[in-house]
Amino acid sequence: MENMQAVNSFVAAYLKKKGFKEAEQLLEDLQNKESAPIDFHNDPELAKFIHHFSQSEDDVARYQYGYSKLRSWTYGSLDLYKHELLRVLYPVFIHSFMDLVAKGHLQEARTFFNAFREDHELMHSRDLQKLEGVLSQSHLEEMEFARSLRQSKVNIKICQYSYDLLLQYLHKTQSTAMLGVINEHINFQVSSGQPTSISDDAEVVTLIGSCQDAANQINQKEIHWGLLEDSLEERLEKAGGLLSDSEKTEGENKEGDVDETKKRSVEGGKQGASTKKLKKDKAINATAKSARPEANTTSTAPRVKPELTLPIMPTEVEQSILEDLRNRVHLSSVALPSVSFYTFLNTHNGLNCSSISHDGSLVAGGFSDSSLKVWDMAKLGQQAGSSTLQGEIDSASSEHVVGPNGGKRSYTLFKGHSGPVYSATFSPLGDFILSSAADTTIRLWSTKLNANLVCYKGHNYPVWDVQFSPVGHYFASASHDRTARIWSMDRIQPLRIMAGHLSDVDCVQWHANCNYVATGSSDKTVRLWDVQSGECVRIFIGHRSMILSLAMSPDGRYMASGDEDGTIMMWDLSSGRCITPLMGHTSCVWTLTFSCEGSLLASGSADCTVKLWDVTTSTKVPRNEEKSGNPNRLRSLKTLPTKSTPVYSLQFSRRNLLFGAGVLSKNM
Amino acid sequence: MSIVAKETIEVIAQSIGINNLSDDAALSLAPDVEYRMREIMQEAIKCMRHSRRTTLTTDDVDGALSLRNVEPVYGFASGGPLQFKRAVGHRDLFYIDDKDVDLKDVIEAPLPKAPLDTGVVCHWLAIEGVQPAIPENAPVEVIAAPSNGKTYEQKDELPVDIKLPVKHVLSRELQLYFDKITELTVRKSDSALFKEALVSLATDSGLHQLVPYFTYFIANEVSHGLNDYSLLFALMRVVWSLLQNPHIHIEPYLHQLMPSVVTCLVSKKLGNRIADNHWELRDFTAKLVASICKRFGHVYNTLQTRLTKTLLNALLDPKRALTQHYGAIQGLAALGPNVVRLLILPNLEPYLRLLEPELVLEKQKNGMKRYEAWRVYGALLHAAGQGIYDRLKIFPPLPSPPGHANWKSREKVVTAVPNKRKASMEPLEHEPALKKIVTDGPIGLVSTTSSPSPMQGETVAPLSSGDFDSEQPSSSEKMPNDERSGNGIGKDGQTLKMSAILNQIWEDDLNSGRTLVTLLELFGESILSFIPAPEMSLFL
Repeated sequence: MENMQAVNSFVAAYLKKKGFKEAEQLLEDLQNKESAPIDFHNDPELAKFIHHFSQSEDDVARYQYGYSKLRSWTYGSLDLYKHELLRVLYPVFIHSFMDLVAKGHLQEARTFFNAFREDHELMHSRDLQKLEGVLSQSHLEEMEFARSLRQSKVNIKICQYSYDLLLQYLHKTQSTAMLGVINEHINFQVSSGQPTSISDDAEVVTLIGSCQDAANQINQKEIHWGLLEDSLEERLEKAGGLLSDSEKTEGENKEGDVDETKKRSVEGGKQGASTKKLKKDKAINATAKSARPEANTTSTAPRVKPELTLPIMPTEVEQSILEDLRNRVHLSSVALPSVSFYTFLNTHNGLNCSSISHDGSLVAGGFSDSSLKVWDMAKLGQQAGSSTLQGEIDSASSEHVVGPNGGKRSYTLFKGHSGPVYSATFSPLGDFILSSAADTTIRLWSTKLNANLVCYKGHNYPVWDVQFSPVGHYFASASHDRTARIWSMDRIQPLRIMAGHLSDVDCVQWHANCNYVATGSSDKTVRLWDVQSGECVRIFIGHRSMILSLAMSPDGRYMASGDEDGTIMMWDLSSGRCITPLMGHTSCVWTLTFSCEGSLLASGSADCTVKLWDVTTSTKVPRNEEKSGNPNRLRSLKTLPTKSTPVYSLQFSRRNLLFGAGVLSKNM
Repeated sequence: MSIVAKETIEVIAQSIGINNLSDDAALSLAPDVEYRMREIMQEAIKCMRHSRRTTLTTDDVDGALSLRNVEPVYGFASGGPLQFKRAVGHRDLFYIDDKDVDLKDVIEAPLPKAPLDTGVVCHWLAIEGVQPAIPENAPVEVIAAPSNGKTYEQKDELPVDIKLPVKHVLSRELQLYFDKITELTVRKSDSALFKEALVSLATDSGLHQLVPYFTYFIANEVSHGLNDYSLLFALMRVVWSLLQNPHIHIEPYLHQLMPSVVTCLVSKKLGNRIADNHWELRDFTAKLVASICKRFGHVYNTLQTRLTKTLLNALLDPKRALTQHYGAIQGLAALGPNVVRLLILPNLEPYLRLLEPELVLEKQKNGMKRYEAWRVYGALLHAAGQGIYDRLKIFPPLPSPPGHANWKSREKVVTAVPNKRKASMEPLEHEPALKKIVTDGPIGLVSTTSSPSPMQGETVAPLSSGDFDSEQPSSSEKMPNDERSGNGIGKDGQTLKMSAILNQIWEDDLNSGRTLVTLLELFGESILSFIPAPEMSLFL
């Protein structure tokens, strides 16, 4: 009905303006007489006709005048409703601009754009930069972003009163141009009651065409974020349960002692609780084979069946991993990890990426001269490699240093790519390396044979990122061609192609249970894909710039993503919502990684820092109850500045030692 | 309308051999060129990000061009910055300087040094969350050679928690406030606005963040502005206001403030003009010092001792200027009668011996110096009087009369003789002599009052009481007048008043022959003014 009225007033205004007194009179009569007026909506031809006529010569002025009036009205509106009304301004602004461009008033469009762009600079600077370049109708057609904007409607949540206010204003001022834009491009979701809070408008930040509805719909889908059945951790727990009871209790007591002394130093009151808990744990242990207390996270996560055929792990490897898991250092907000940092020297600005194997013994660097270089830390500096491997410090072995100038290279050079290498990844066991490059290929290298094994061709454009799955064998790649692909080592064709991103797929990450893959894109969204079906199951909207890094929590419930501006967002996979943004970095977040038990998140950035974030407070529900502080705030625990070394990659070893790598850059 | 001008398109067209490009074509090409450029830049930025860099290079642009299947632009990958040069005779025509290189030179040139090969070094960025203080970590300058670094790092495993300088964010409002206050202090310290500012400093809450800045500002300005009297005074007022503010926790900054304050008290020269009333500044600062000691003396027990030591050193060093002596005396006096009694009075006699020549016209021809000496003298008198008054107060029932009488009587005894002797002398000569006598009085007094036997004073009292009573009426007609003014001005103005009074005495001497009596009265008067009215009334 409101639309009806709008159209009527529209027509009336037009007639009046053109001086068609009789027609106006007639229309009025018609309106007065007919209780059921003509249904414009069912007659698109008519609507179009009217619309066409309304586009008079002073079109430009009407847009400009109308928008500036609307703007000043919005800024002058009631404080309570202002932020809701302000949301309307941005879509109106960009669509007015594009309308002007589409109608060929290029000069005017530019003036219009420059006159008001400042208003939106803060929230939408990147979009504005893109739109700024649109200078003709053909550009509108050509540019993906503009096209998707034009084709879709923007959803704006608005409360009833704000909506009424807006309508009243539009009717009163009869600014038909604005009314047209709003009708055409904005879809109001009017909610009764109070206006929504300002913080709740994450959606308005990213205007990605049709995404909104689709995203909501997609995010309804069910996902099984639980961990794999029969994982090594689980086996470890079982193994722990099989240990003789006496040994077990002894171990428990020791732990209990440590716990107690720690807690005593912190707070006396907690002691009782911890001992109680300990007793309870013992009781459970006595009756059934149950989880060790620090394995809480893994045991709480539901189990899912693998959808992929998983490779079989050799027994000795399994044993070594189990050994690692047993010796894992328990990290928390009070027990921070040790960080071993690998600094690349003399890269001459050529290092594009680096990767560290799971045990920290191998470091790979991908260079813009198409080479991939791998350093064996154990061989290079005996002391560094061995000490980090053992997780202890061995000062006696420093005499084995092989001088870098000893005639031999200190690294293994892998040649094969024909373009800058953008990404490298180690297989979980460290025996393979995958690298992706601008030459659109992915190559598989063996660290045992020091040779190239396979070249995977499939992408049509540079491959930005490649990642091995947590179990090995499978890997995922992300490319400029806007797709992500799933591969297995034994096939040269991709197994799945994930298409849907509106711009480059910049990074990719496997879910802990290997059933899902997350991709981050230049379209500022992160998507979660089902590996088996190749469908998009989640869209995470909220970042304001290109996504550069992703990390999945080991319990499979959460995901962290870092962007170009230095913002890190924690997402709940099941709800698709952002738990909280982690602010702190001032420049690109190149890398993110969770500690093995998921209590800490480490981030490395171009601002030359490694930051450690406490994520236990929100991720572990039982802990929440113990802690009295505010539970939903993830906080920065520690900032570790490097010496003018942007941090390219971070990797927690299975024993929870953190490895980092970066390039010493003198100009920073 | 687009940032690419039509002319640019024409120039480019000419450069590729199209001489007759129509205006329309150029006009419609321009926006498209801009769009393509933006597109390339967008892709180049992606390439930059994926090369983990934050600066765009020519490689990135080449990468972007190849993404778009465009032939890369050759010749720019050398890495050196490109130099644009302005074409001679054209205002807005630029070109890239492209040097001709002789092939022979290139061939004959020695091979450049091979660039160092890429290497990886390893160090501990943190050990259990704590950054060890090793050269590889942030605060130290150079990264050590790989092998050395490692051995060093292995040996030196002591984890030291490195505290990074905390970046202190001052809100915009506070910054503006600070700027405004400092500007007022420096430029317009006599304006009404400055008074308002002082009130604001003394009362506003939430200024605590600014205290270090103010401290620094004051220290800085005092050290640089010793010649600017009004600035110094304004600064001291600011300190005073800051001290008054109940919301400010100023203790941690006292050690930075005190030097500046003490400088304003005992500096040789404050202000560079004769008109600058640096005496007033010193008096004010003395008060300030005293209030600081009073407030924080119990927190910093070394504060007062250090201060008095500094002041006493200034006072007892005969080489120091008289102005410095004055400041020291005022400072000590402001610290209270105990300090005066313990530190000034014992040194009074030798000091006066030093001061005496300065006071006399014959010996000190420089009027300015003499004036300064008189100021010092006045300050001493004031301090001594204060010390004595405190002593007198100890015996509430009988305090003033005996002490005073004692003093009076002695005074009379001492002064009477020289005055009679000098009655015929020139008035100008008279004055110094009188002064000396006055100071002699207190010295004598000290010896009696500070002695542990108050009984002595009491025994003396009855003897002199008759004397005292007989004198009092004769001066009664003059007394009230002077007394009122003396009390009204108070401690601070006392010294000023004193010189005025002394001048008056001197005139009186000229006019009347009642020299002796008047002198006596006035000495009494000058000291009496320290004694509040109730006690005074005992005499009147």
